[in-house]
Amino acid sequence: MSMDTALETVGLVKRFGGLLASNEVSLKVGQGEIRGLIGPNGAGKTTLVNLVTGVYRPDLGDIRLAGTSLLGLDMHEIARRGLLRTFQVTRLFGGLTVRENLMTAFLARRHHASGGDALAQTARMLEITTLGPVADLPAKKLSGGQRAILQIACGFMIPAHCYVLDEPFAGINPVIKDAIIDLIEDVNRRYGATFLVVSHEMAVIRRLCPQVTVMMEGRVAAQGTLDEVARLPEVIAGYLGKALE
Amino acid sequence: MYSTELFVQTFISGVMIGVLYALMALGITFIYSIMRMINWAMGEFYMVGSYLQYMLVVGLLGTDLWWLAIPVSVAGVFVMGMVVQWGLLKPVFTRPPESRDDYATVVTLALLLFLRSVATGLAGPNQFTPGSNLPVIMVGPMPLAGARVAAFLFALAALGLFYVLLRYTWYGLALRATAQSRVGVQTAGIDVLAVDRIAFGIGVALAGLAGALLAPVFLVYPTNGLITTMKGFEIVVIGGLGSIPGALIAGLLLGLIESFGAAFIDSSYQNVYGFILVLAILALRPSGLFGERGREA
Repeated sequence: MSMDTALETVGLVKRFGGLLASNEVSLKVGQGEIRGLIGPNGAGKTTLVNLVTGVYRPDLGDIRLAGTSLLGLDMHEIARRGLLRTFQVTRLFGGLTVRENLMTAFLARRHHASGGDALAQTARMLEITTLGPVADLPAKKLSGGQRAILQIACGFMIPAHCYVLDEPFAGINPVIKDAIIDLIEDVNRRYGATFLVVSHEMAVIRRLCPQVTVMMEGRVAAQGTLDEVARLPEVIAGYLGKALE
Repeated sequence: MYSTELFVQTFISGVMIGVLYALMALGITFIYSIMRMINWAMGEFYMVGSYLQYMLVVGLLGTDLWWLAIPVSVAGVFVMGMVVQWGLLKPVFTRPPESRDDYATVVTLALLLFLRSVATGLAGPNQFTPGSNLPVIMVGPMPLAGARVAAFLFALAALGLFYVLLRYTWYGLALRATAQSRVGVQTAGIDVLAVDRIAFGIGVALAGLAGALLAPVFLVYPTNGLITTMKGFEIVVIGGLGSIPGALIAGLLLGLIESFGAAFIDSSYQNVYGFILVLAILALRPSGLFGERGREA
């Protein structure tokens, strides 16, 4: 493929005591690609997300965003360089209102912007996400689906270079799932943003991701279209014989 | 008539001292809500504030310019707080959170002993007063010491400023967000250690402000922060750790209870009434009036 690499990991190793959670993980996600990351529970997907976003420091290996190493940077520095993440368990500011959550996301990365810019972008995002009616409620009062969409919306307040989404669709009703998919595709098309999407929802992955990477036992086990990897014997074995569906 | 007058006077003096107690409690609870640690050296920042005020008034500005010395003393304590965060607290806050509480306890207790020793070493165990030439102010038929009224008004202004900062500025939004989720702000791209630095500076500056304001009333000596700090912690238990409205309301409550207890029961037990309230709160509502039971880390 001729496209430039947006996000790259090179031989990432992370050991927790006796557990090799990340075993020489190397992967490349092209600029503007929406890549799926799948694998059974305990395969090391979330560990990889945490390594890439600076929560953990790798024992060995390198992480590069558009060719520049992120090693040794703090979480907020990685975010400011344009690699944003979402959490499986949403990390919103529960006591702040929906509007304040969005404002914080905007000003965190652009605090020299005028308050007016932040307000305008907040209003726009409330409209896109249809969170307008709950804009002045504290985030902790939202439903699970609304929280998930707010978390994504916070990441989109200022378009970033690359997003790592950890289980953005888990336990969410189909309507909001569609809304999140639309948001992702819109930001991808409009700004050429790159996505690495960790999910167990194969229907969503098939719809969203031309290519998937499969992790098993801390390693990259396969890569290809979802239908290609689903036929591989080792992938089937890794999912304990269950077909990928 | 006599009893109504006494009642009103007791109420006013309770509110006046309650607001100053609330400053201390607010500092403790604010630092906790952002950094999830207790600063045990709060009283020593109060003490430093009172010494700065004394030195500025006596050595430089004179009694008439006491009001100018206040913001300078507070700024001094604010800067000192930021230096303490940068030099002593930040190093452990860059590591995983498991042992932070223990570390922060040991460091701030060591700082407490250190600062008291420095004060004793430099100025001895003596009591100083910056003095006050503010006249006695009559509120209706009741005389109130000018220094106390001034302290009350300054404290109110500071609380107002604190509210505006938290509510209407970008720094305030970052501080409130950090109190909700430290991981969340880092993920958004905020340097949480820089937020800590500002929060610690503001928290101890509130104590320094109380020290500077009360210097002419409660005097200046190495352990003068002890009583006010104890009140601060009582208030935090009553109001709920981490709750800002709790600190304000419980501060007023404690001031009133002490004041009424002293006036209508026995003034020699003034410091006991607050503890009775603390015991009652712990028995009936252990997380305090406004406290939350558990929070997301």
